[in-house]
Amino acid sequence: MLTCLGDLDATYKALIAGQSGVGPLRIGDPAKLNVSRGYHVGGDGPGAWLGDTVAAALAAAGVDPARQRVAVVVGTGLRELRAVERWHGDGAPLELAQLHYGAAVRAAAPGVTEVHTLANACAASGYALALATDLLELDEADAVVVSGCDTMTESMLTMIGRVGDTSADMVRPFDADRQGVLLGEGAASVVLQRADDRPVLGILRGVGVNCDAYHETAPSQAGIVAAMRDAHRRAGVDPAEIGLVMAHGTGTALNDPTEASALGEVFGSAGPPVTGIKGAIGHTSGGAALMSMLVALTSMAEGAVPPTAGLRTPIPEASGLDLVQGGPRTVRPRLAQVNAFGFGGVNAVAIVEAGDE
Amino acid sequence: MSDVMLAVDGWAVHLPGRSLADLPGSPPEPACPPENAKEVLGRKGLLGKEPSTRLALCAVHRALGLPPGPLAEPLPDVDGTAVVVASNLGNVQTVCNVLSDMRERSGSVVSPMDAPNASSNVIASSIAIRYGYAGPNLTVCSGATAGLDAVRLAALVLRSGRAKRAVVVGVEPADPVAVELAGLRPGTPKELTAGAACVLLSLPGGAPAASGLRCGPVTRHGQRPPAAEPDTGELYGAAGVVQLAAAAARMSASADSAPSTLSCGDTVDGWSSLELWRTAA
Repeated sequence: MLTCLGDLDATYKALIAGQSGVGPLRIGDPAKLNVSRGYHVGGDGPGAWLGDTVAAALAAAGVDPARQRVAVVVGTGLRELRAVERWHGDGAPLELAQLHYGAAVRAAAPGVTEVHTLANACAASGYALALATDLLELDEADAVVVSGCDTMTESMLTMIGRVGDTSADMVRPFDADRQGVLLGEGAASVVLQRADDRPVLGILRGVGVNCDAYHETAPSQAGIVAAMRDAHRRAGVDPAEIGLVMAHGTGTALNDPTEASALGEVFGSAGPPVTGIKGAIGHTSGGAALMSMLVALTSMAEGAVPPTAGLRTPIPEASGLDLVQGGPRTVRPRLAQVNAFGFGGVNAVAIVEAGDE
Repeated sequence: MSDVMLAVDGWAVHLPGRSLADLPGSPPEPACPPENAKEVLGRKGLLGKEPSTRLALCAVHRALGLPPGPLAEPLPDVDGTAVVVASNLGNVQTVCNVLSDMRERSGSVVSPMDAPNASSNVIASSIAIRYGYAGPNLTVCSGATAGLDAVRLAALVLRSGRAKRAVVVGVEPADPVAVELAGLRPGTPKELTAGAACVLLSLPGGAPAASGLRCGPVTRHGQRPPAAEPDTGELYGAAGVVQLAAAAARMSASADSAPSTLSCGDTVDGWSSLELWRTAA
């Protein structure tokens, strides 16, 4: 995993310490964009970040695409539209195939059977997790690399600045004075295989996906609740068994109250601890679900859940939630729920179980 | 192979200017351009929709066999219907226009109506919203094989039980940015053609109105496979679905029951192929 705070280990430590990787926006003209802050990774851009995480995940899992059927599903919100912008606006050279990540993945992992680039907005890597479980259950692959990857585009920043009232200083999930979303860069990859006796980071119990079929940009509580219940049914778990929720928590006017109300509807008044990581690493769009899942697994292994960076005073809709706030929570849950909701009403909810201690 | 066989329950090809006389699956009169999509869809709900979204909606509307105009009543089985869209260039014109307007003047001059179009999944979500489809909603942007990759992923969500029916769409626009980008493809590509196609897929035995048409698994190739279907123009990510919809229309309308192989791809993204045949019923 690669975020503005570093790899998974560095990101988790910073989250526990309550730090945020927000800084001055490094692309575009803040005055024209009406956005002045961002969560940057730097370096060679999304294709390189993605390739690095794919290679690292395969090496860590000991999976060789030359010897097994390895499929790759990449979830991304903005694809390589940044390269299209540079081509259009700055005259930079472009190969059209850069727009998707097939070549970047194949260069890092020669021999993979198929590479799918899913542009499923901010739920993309959650959707990728769902398709990966299907590929494994139907025995169409021996292993699936699930990746999430995103950079920023000036066009999306323009829209964020245009729709928001003021320029946010950081993402403040579920905060009464939140000022909207800011983008985060990064990539993450995991290798999924059918469960056997080997030691694992965690077990993906089930993923629910659906579409609100309601509005292009506004979320729907009914759709989100349906995705959560679908995930619970697929995972074979009761909401009361879930010990941690990684919220989508984008700090926007619409997401946070809708998500908080949906969590209240599903979990009732005595729900599990809820935290969110976008105050620390920004909204990493297509990578967000996977990054939340990796932080959940690390939290369960370490026995400490990071606080919700950026949260000061919770919104009224979240008053019934057990938001982790101020400092880390010393708990060691066995099951976590990971929420990811995107533009167009695409929802993905994953249930993960802690790995071996 | 039988376990990955799919039933093809409906189809439509919507390439502006092309009619049934020259391309199976097309409407009897030349298919309307995106600016006249109201002829198929009615006036409501098209404001701010990009050409690619309009073409995709026209193809879906016709594949469903709906009369022109808005929906008279809600469609059945919407919770169990997945939407899988293949498109690479659907929103590149909007992205570049927003960039230019912001840089030359300011972000404040950009219309908030374009906000949904900045997200690459706007076509699939627009289809879901118009027809009420609450199942898995996928946008496949994997280059020249995207059309058959979409069929492949539709087969996956059908076989895994996530959906009972899949609305699969391939679409590319031919705006100036899309055309210029498509010209960057390897070799000497022909000029990009605007167009959309839709196929309705299910597991065999599930659909009430059975066409008898079946398609097999999508297979990948390192080189261009021999394909029986004629070239339908430079359609990039839409090609696989356009080929499938046109072949299904042709086979359903003729007595010829020979199986057909169709393919899409290029030297960078590789190729995919699919076999289509009629069951002896």
